[in-house]
Amino acid sequence: MNSLNVYLTIGAALFSIGLLGVLQRRNLIGMLIAVELMLNGANVNFMAFNRFLAPDPTVGQIITLFVMGLAAAEAAIGLSIILALFRRLHSINIERAQQLRG
Amino acid sequence: MMSLLKDPVLLAAALGTSLPFLSMAVILVFTRQNQRLSATISVGSVSVSLLSSLYLLITLYGAGAPVQYEFPWLLADDIVIPFGYLLDPLSLLMLTIVAVISFLVQVYSIGYMSGDPGFSRYYAFQSLFAWAMMSMVIAPSMLQLFIFWELVGLASYLLIGFYYEKWSASQAGKKAFVMTRLGDIGFFLGLIILVLGFGDLSIVRMNEAGQGHQIPQYLITISALLIFGGVMGKSAQFPLLTWLPDAMEGPTPVSALLHSATMVAAGVYMFSRIFPFYSMSPEAMALALAIGTVTMLLSSTMAMATYDLKQVWAYSTVSQLGFMVMGLAAGGYFAGVFHLTTHAGFKALLFLCSGIFIHEYHTNDFRIIGQQGGRKLMIPMVCMTVGALALSGIFPFSGFFSKEAILGVLANHPNKLWLGAGLVGALMTAYYTFRLIFFMLFPRGVAAAHGVHDAKGSGHGHDDHEGEHHGYIFWTMAVPVMILAGISVVLGFSQSSLESFLMGHGSVPAQLAASGGEGHAAAHDGHGIGHYALLIGAVTMALGGIFWAFMEFGRKGATQEGFLRAFPVVERLFAARWYMDAFLRAFLDKVIYSGLTNVFTRNDRRVIDGGIDGICFFTVAGGRLLSFLQSGMLQYNLLVMIVAVGFVVLYFLLA
Repeated sequence: MNSLNVYLTIGAALFSIGLLGVLQRRNLIGMLIAVELMLNGANVNFMAFNRFLAPDPTVGQIITLFVMGLAAAEAAIGLSIILALFRRLHSINIERAQQLRG
Repeated sequence: MMSLLKDPVLLAAALGTSLPFLSMAVILVFTRQNQRLSATISVGSVSVSLLSSLYLLITLYGAGAPVQYEFPWLLADDIVIPFGYLLDPLSLLMLTIVAVISFLVQVYSIGYMSGDPGFSRYYAFQSLFAWAMMSMVIAPSMLQLFIFWELVGLASYLLIGFYYEKWSASQAGKKAFVMTRLGDIGFFLGLIILVLGFGDLSIVRMNEAGQGHQIPQYLITISALLIFGGVMGKSAQFPLLTWLPDAMEGPTPVSALLHSATMVAAGVYMFSRIFPFYSMSPEAMALALAIGTVTMLLSSTMAMATYDLKQVWAYSTVSQLGFMVMGLAAGGYFAGVFHLTTHAGFKALLFLCSGIFIHEYHTNDFRIIGQQGGRKLMIPMVCMTVGALALSGIFPFSGFFSKEAILGVLANHPNKLWLGAGLVGALMTAYYTFRLIFFMLFPRGVAAAHGVHDAKGSGHGHDDHEGEHHGYIFWTMAVPVMILAGISVVLGFSQSSLESFLMGHGSVPAQLAASGGEGHAAAHDGHGIGHYALLIGAVTMALGGIFWAFMEFGRKGATQEGFLRAFPVVERLFAARWYMDAFLRAFLDKVIYSGLTNVFTRNDRRVIDGGIDGICFFTVAGGRLLSFLQSGMLQYNLLVMIVAVGFVVLYFLLA
C-alpha cells in the first residue's frame, strides 16, 4: 500500500473535491477553503513525487513550502476582498456579485 | 550662404524677391498697430526690390545666355523639379515692370489709404502681392511658377476683398478666387500630363525640347490646351472674364496693380514664358487666337455701356489682354510682350488717376465727377488724357507702338479675319475711352444720372478725410501718376532697343529662330511692305473712334447719349455683360448646385454615411449578442475555463 499510486490518488481526490467546492459553493468563504483544498492536493503530489522519484530530495519540499506561503498570501488577499464585498453588498453570497453581467 | 555673398547677381535676385515677404511677416506680426512704420517697411522693401531689379537689368543687359540658378527640390526616379532663379531678358523685363509698378502703387497708397483702419494690413498684403509676383516672374520651372501663381491669386483675393465688411467686396474677392481657380485646374492638369509624358518642368528645357521635337506632338497639344486654361482664368479670357470687372471692389491702387503688372499680367506672362513650347502646337495657338479675339470684342462692347469710371478701365484691361493673347497666338512674341509692357504703364496710370478722382469726389460715376468739376484737377486730368491717348493708340504715346506691333503680326497671319477684328477693337477702344474723357471734360446737366450708380459707387471705404487735398496726401498720389504719364509718353520709343534685348542671343525667340520654328517670322513682323498702309489704317481707326466719341459726347450741343441709346436691347445686353454673369449664375444653380451637388450630397448621406452607420449597427448588434456570454457569474466562467482546459488536456492525451 505504501506506493506512489496511493498518494497520487489521495492528491487527485483532494484536488477534485476542491474543484467541486469552488464550482458549487455559493459562499465565498467556502470557495476560499475549497481553493485551499486544491492547493493541498497539489502539495500532496509534489511531496509524493519528491519521496519516490526525485534524486534530490529537497526540490519538492521547497516547492511545497512556497505553495504554503502562497496559500497564506492568497487567503489574506481573498479574505480582504471578501470583507470589502461584504461591506458593499452585506452578503458573501457570490450570486449577489453580478454587476459585471453583460 | 557664401556663394550668395560672392555672387552679386544671385544676391540681388534673392534679396529683391524675398524682402517683400519678410516685410509682410514683420508687418503682420509686429507693426500692425504702427501704420507709419508699416508703410515705411513695405515701401522700403519694395524699393530695394526695385533697385535690385534695375541692377539685374543693367548687369545682365548684354549677357548672352540666360543666367540660371537651380537647386533640386523635388526628386523622384527620373523627375527632378528644381527651385531657383531664371534670369533671361523676358523675366528681367517683367521683374522690372512689376517692381516699378508695385513701388509707385505703394507710394501712391500712402496718400490714398491714409486714415484707413486697415492700413497696416493693406501694406502687408501689398508686400505679399509683390513677393508672389516677382518670385513667379523669375521661376525657372513651371511648378515653381504655378506655386507663386497661386500665391498671386491669394494676394489678389485678399486685396479685392480688402473691405471685407462690404458684402459686394467679399463676394468679388471670392468670385475672383474661384474663377481663376477654375482655370488653374486646367493648368495643373496640363503640368501633370507634362510630367508624366516628358518628366521635366524646367522652362528652358521644356522650350528646347518642344522646339527640338523631343516631345510628342499630341502631348504638346493636350498640355498646351490645358495650360491655356490657367491663362484664361488669370488673364480673364472669354468664358472666365467676369471676375475682373468685379475686382475693382478693392481699393483703387489695388486695381491699378492688379490690372497692370500683376495678376492679370501673370497669364500673358506665362503664355510668353513657354511661347516656343506653345508655338509647336498650331491647335492650341488657333484656340488662343480665337479666345483672345472674342474676349477683346466682347469686353470692348461692355465698356461702351457702363458709367463707372473704374469699370471702363476694367473692361479695357480685359480687351487689351485679349489683344495681347491675340498677338502672342498669332506668333508675335515680341509684340505681345511689348504690349504687356506698355499696357502695364498706361493702365496703372489710368487707374491711379481714377483713384485721385474717386478719392476727391467719392463716386465712381464719371458723369457725376464731370459735373462736379473733375477737369479742374489739372494733374490727374492731363495724366488721364495721356493714358487714354496711349490706350487708344495715338502717336507718340506708348500704346501706339505696341498696338501697331500686334496689328502687324495679325496682318501677317494668313487669315485676315483676325486683322479686321483687331482694327474693329482699336476703333471701339478709342470710342469708349474718349466717351469717358469727353464726359469728364465737357460735362452737361445729366440730372437723371444722379443716384443711378451711387449705390455701387462711392463705397470705397474712407470718407473721413477733409480738406487735405493739396497736402502731402495729394502729392504722394500725384507724383507717381506724373512719373507713369512720363513713362507712357517715352516708353514707345524704346521699341527697337527692347526688341533687340528680348529677341537677342540666348533669349527665347533666338532659340526659335535657330531651330527654324514658326515663330521666326514673328520676330520681324510689322516691317513688311504693307507696313505703312497698316500704320495708317490703325491710326485712322483710333482717330475715327475718338472723332466718333467727340461727335456724340464732346462737341457743343452733343446729346451725350451715345448711339447705344437708340438700341436699348443692345445697351442692356452690353451693360449686363452679355448676360455672362447671369448664365454662369444659372449654370451654377442648375447644374452645379441642384445637379452635381445634389448627387454628391445624396452619395454622401446615403452611401458613405449609410455605410458607416451600417458598420456601427452591426458592431453594436454583434456586441449585444456576445454579451450574453458574460453572465457575471464567477463560477460559470470558471466552469467554462476548466472544461476548456479539460478539452486541451484531452487533445494532447489523444494526440
